Amino acid sequence: MKNEWVDTLAGSVRVKARGKGIERLINACVRQGIAVWNVKKHSADTATFFIKLSDVKRLRHVARQSECKLSFVGRTGLPFFWRRAWRNSGFWLGLLLFIAMVFLLSNIVWKIEIKGAAPETEHQIARELKRMGVERGAFQFLLDDPETLQKKLTERVPDITWVGVEWKGTSLHFRVVEKEIPEPKKPIPPRHLVAKKEAVIADLFVEEGQPLVSVNDYVQKGQLLVSGIIGAEGRTKFVPASGKVFGETWYKSTVVLPLETTFHVLTGKFTERHYVGIGRLLIPVWGWKKPVFAHTIVETEKRPFRFWKWDLPLYYERITIREAEEVKRRYTWEEAFAEAKEIARRELRAKLPEEAAIRSEKVLHQAKENGKVRVELHYEVIENIAVPQPIVQGD
Amino acid sequence: MVKKWRQQMKRWMAEKLELPADIMMDLPRITMVGHIHIYIENHRGLLAFSDKELRLLLRNGQLVVRGEQFVIKTILPEEILLEGKISQVVYIDE
Repeated sequence: MKNEWVDTLAGSVRVKARGKGIERLINACVRQGIAVWNVKKHSADTATFFIKLSDVKRLRHVARQSECKLSFVGRTGLPFFWRRAWRNSGFWLGLLLFIAMVFLLSNIVWKIEIKGAAPETEHQIARELKRMGVERGAFQFLLDDPETLQKKLTERVPDITWVGVEWKGTSLHFRVVEKEIPEPKKPIPPRHLVAKKEAVIADLFVEEGQPLVSVNDYVQKGQLLVSGIIGAEGRTKFVPASGKVFGETWYKSTVVLPLETTFHVLTGKFTERHYVGIGRLLIPVWGWKKPVFAHTIVETEKRPFRFWKWDLPLYYERITIREAEEVKRRYTWEEAFAEAKEIARRELRAKLPEEAAIRSEKVLHQAKENGKVRVELHYEVIENIAVPQPIVQGD
Repeated sequence: MVKKWRQQMKRWMAEKLELPADIMMDLPRITMVGHIHIYIENHRGLLAFSDKELRLLLRNGQLVVRGEQFVIKTILPEEILLEGKISQVVYIDE
């Protein structure tokens, strides 16, 4: 049997024959090599059958010699489908245009809402946003992602402590928390002051409470420094102990620094490439130039396209290729030791609270090891070692 | 006279040499699947067709198929596939 599926694809026609000698007509067709199938007789002088679209011309030729009248009653197959589709092209075009419009409009920022900010701050934020390209009518996929927006905004607008950025459909919502003057202090519950770490007491400023240590005392970590229980025995009172107890503390740090380091520095030149991607497939849209940079740092940014309120599996990808330069830094031994000490000091400073002071610095050990210097340092630091510890009052 | 003699010769060969009769003697080969399909090879053309009867010309004689709801699924110069409810297959010798 023939494959009907192929006939469907190539197109077939249903023919209605009326008149005498239908059998003769079919015999003639078959002899001419016209494929005939699904022959049905409806009454004594009518029958229907299917032939291939490509055989229609030959059937006409055959039919001229018979006494039947032919009419075509049905068309199936791709050729007819295409013709019908072409005739309805206006409709298809409209539908396509509609989808394109929805697609386009879905990817546009329609509304920017800033909530929780005073009018002047709001104005400032709006101005900053405009500078970043965030405004009504901008394409969503060309903007930074919410995290970056959030970071940039908090950096650039000094009056806000925090800003929440959220997409809601095609509108961008900002929730702002402004910096506020701290509230008046609440009354502090009774407490002691204890040592944060082991130290030798250098100085004491007690505002309230009963000091239990004096200058040059050695204290352990957690030792009681200023008691919150005052008054003679039998008539004690609980107070929140406050004040500052400066102690001499010790720190040790080790720094290893290589003599030679290479790093990549950006020169500021870059090329951008724009892609539309589906899954892992990337279709280049813009940016064809091949960069001539010797060293590059590549950044990629991916944003999904949206349709109505859904993220499509389609996405926009921007690849930025930045030129980098290799820079070699070389120290002599002396420079390396000095730099290592500087690094150690900087690291320590970063760890210490602001009011602490480094009193002295002593090199315990310094060594040259294959291409590196290793420095061990010991520091004496004066810092406030008092930390509050609440007094748990029994019943 | 010669024709009849040749025919007899062929029949004898078909029997003695065990050759298939349909090839040797140009007879129709009829295959039926239950009573819903009938496949006839070696016919000589359509004589009459309606939804209750199919009449085929053979080399010598006719074949009549009776039944209901007949549809010719395929027709080729020497083959025909008929579908429907077949109740009788009658061989008419001339």
